[in-house]
Amino acid sequence: MSVDLKTKPVALSNRLKSTRAGGKLVAEYWDRIFTAPERGATVAWYNGAAINPLFQAIGIEWCHTEAFGARLAAMHLEGPAQEMSEEYGYNRELCSYARTTLGCAVLAKRDGQANEIELAGMEGEKVLASRLPPPNLFVNAYAGCSTGQQWDEISYRLFDKELPLFKISYPLLWGNQPDAAYIQGEEWEEASRYVAAQILKLIEFLEHVTGRKFNWDQLHESMHYIKQAAQLRVEALELCAARPTPATFFDWVASIAPINFLPGDEKLVQYFADVKAEIEDRIANDIPALPNEKYRMAFDGIMNWNKVGWLADKFAERDVAVISGRYTHTSFWHEPQLLDENDPILGMAKHYLLCPFNHNARTVGDRLLHDAERFGLDGVVFHSTRTCRSASNGQLIAAQMAQQAGLQTMIFDGDVADVSFYKDAILDTRLEAMLEAIDLHRRAGA
Amino acid sequence: MTAATDRVNIIVSRLEAVCSDYIAYVKDWKERTGRKAVGVLPMNFPVELVQAAGALPVFVQESDEPVTDGRNLIYEYYCAYSKSITDQAAKQWLDLFDGIFAVDHCVALLGALDAMRFAMPSRLVYLAQFPASMDEQASIDEVDKRMRELRRELEKLTGAAILPEAISEAIRSRNEARQIVRRLFALRRDGAINLSARMMQAIVQSGMIMDAAEYLETMLELEAALADFPPVHDRKVKLHLSGHFCHAPRPELFDMIEQCGAMIVDDDLYTGYRFVSTDVAETGDPAIALRDWYFQRNVNVPCSTRAQKTADWEGYLLQALERSGADGVIILMAKFCEPHMLYYPELRKTFRAQGVPYLLIETEHEGLALEMLRTRVESLVELISKRRTAEASGQPGIKETSV
Repeated sequence: MSVDLKTKPVALSNRLKSTRAGGKLVAEYWDRIFTAPERGATVAWYNGAAINPLFQAIGIEWCHTEAFGARLAAMHLEGPAQEMSEEYGYNRELCSYARTTLGCAVLAKRDGQANEIELAGMEGEKVLASRLPPPNLFVNAYAGCSTGQQWDEISYRLFDKELPLFKISYPLLWGNQPDAAYIQGEEWEEASRYVAAQILKLIEFLEHVTGRKFNWDQLHESMHYIKQAAQLRVEALELCAARPTPATFFDWVASIAPINFLPGDEKLVQYFADVKAEIEDRIANDIPALPNEKYRMAFDGIMNWNKVGWLADKFAERDVAVISGRYTHTSFWHEPQLLDENDPILGMAKHYLLCPFNHNARTVGDRLLHDAERFGLDGVVFHSTRTCRSASNGQLIAAQMAQQAGLQTMIFDGDVADVSFYKDAILDTRLEAMLEAIDLHRRAGA
Repeated sequence: MTAATDRVNIIVSRLEAVCSDYIAYVKDWKERTGRKAVGVLPMNFPVELVQAAGALPVFVQESDEPVTDGRNLIYEYYCAYSKSITDQAAKQWLDLFDGIFAVDHCVALLGALDAMRFAMPSRLVYLAQFPASMDEQASIDEVDKRMRELRRELEKLTGAAILPEAISEAIRSRNEARQIVRRLFALRRDGAINLSARMMQAIVQSGMIMDAAEYLETMLELEAALADFPPVHDRKVKLHLSGHFCHAPRPELFDMIEQCGAMIVDDDLYTGYRFVSTDVAETGDPAIALRDWYFQRNVNVPCSTRAQKTADWEGYLLQALERSGADGVIILMAKFCEPHMLYYPELRKTFRAQGVPYLLIETEHEGLALEMLRTRVESLVELISKRRTAEASGQPGIKETSV
């Protein structure tokens, strides 16, 4: 199969329609962030876990800066922020999320009041990167990545150490003891209690900084909705085990932002109810995600935000249904049974620890094999993410475990938010080789 | 060459031999003593606990060997140290250790540790992760807990009870060695001894490998020999070397810098002053003292792998320059070292604001473009020399800080 490198793959996947509503909700969320200063609202910049229900309960705006980096990359508007960060001195091999958002921080600080500015070469255009309002406080909640923690420390320094900063520390779910396993064992319970205690401290911090009383009823209410939404999402994910699959990993990528940082409310529940309903409708009416599903894959690693649509089409063009993913299926309130909406702190702590990049390599491999079993997968596509060691850790071990289990594997080079690291030709060649191997295997089996 | 110089050279050569083949040293030590050896990962491991268990704690070193087998376990875009230790594990070189222990949290290091665990199924590879955020009481409590856990696991591994008296004794012997090395740093800083950077690194790095008693004895011998070592006579450009976490820069790099007409008067390298900067308290509960040492060393010499609102690496560096009279700084950054990449702009900003000449050099595991780097170092030395000349003749100062 030859591929014209200059031609974008033909769109062949039948993407879910219901996820468009999520795009609208997310756009509204960002507009709320952009307009916070003019409304006099307090803005917290935070990174990492979905601690947004805590901000919701204290009544301030929450800006997930890492998600803003992802959004810029997905919209191909990351350039100005990354140029600014390079000018400031950040090396290109540094986490591109961090580079992008630190570039935004430099812009936000330089611009003071979050007005849109013009950058060289982009005259007349509104530069999205410069619209991020300066923060009033920082909260770092990054699991599984030391860089995640250090980058907020640097953001704090970029703003001259004048703003309040709170940090939550998470232990990597390493599994020293024999009873350690996925959400099992004393280490897991101990780590959960450790994080839960820090969340309570964070609440004290928020009360102190804002001068407001934390609204526990609000937290219970938002966690009630989040649990409902999470349950619907998990059920819908499970439905995608159908053959052919009614929705792909790329549809689920579109639903990351809503579950990750939108307010816990009825709208969130309705969104996932609609997504699930569309999937059920597709199953009932034999409407597949791909017209000719021939191969079923998992996608391991963090997203390549610059290339979501491109990759969706590239795989679809070859009749490859990418069904599950570490980033989509093992993250974002994905174990809703752990949540007690009336006493949510411990369950929240557990989910924060369950960041998909906070596991040891064995667990990553085991979860991958678990997904391969439940979704009937032929192989695994590993996204080797150049500037993200957190997502890259353990991948080569998980690949060996997958191979030993009879799955085909391939690795392609890319990055989370820096398009220059994406290698299209390598992906093409390796994907073709993997599909040929699967075909050979099937013929031999037949 | 004087007798004192000969004696110093002989001692340092012994230390360099240990550093150049640390595996051989450990193998020999195990054969000599019949005791266990524990590989530990940098940069904050409380080795006194291992020593108190009667085992040899050894900071696993980067190897000069090209990374080959390890490529199946870790990607190329990891720092040299992470790649090398994974490679050594994949080649079974680290199987001579009875266990591997780590407390640090760097994402690349943890990736390497996990790969090592996969490659060394017959060995215990243990992580007792210390929080890197230093500002919270929760972190202090967590380090306490992890210290207890480490002690328990090391007792299980070695089969020996770790008694408080043994920890205290380990603390005392290591403090004494650290104090000697710090005195050597002070002598070098003051120009009282003309120790090359290569020699200085061997003195520190060998302490990461050698048996504590043997090392202390060697340091005592070295300090005595250095009493008659020649002082610095010329007015070379004085430089401070900064950074390079977790592993040792290649000594050839130091040689090249010195050949460019510079003299290294101080450093905050991990295989330099950073390693010996802080003693452990010798009074009170030794376990508490080890915990406090972890927090204190980031105050004494701040490190960007930690997150601490009140500790500023750039502030420390300005003070260090003041103390040593260094004319400029060479920042040595291991390629792909994220904590260093993140903090570098803060250093740069300060150096520019304060008019401190500096040069950034990235190092890699394979391939050191010495001749290309030589040109850049020569430019830095020239810039500083011009400044000196201008200042001596009362001309307006040269504003440039980087080359």
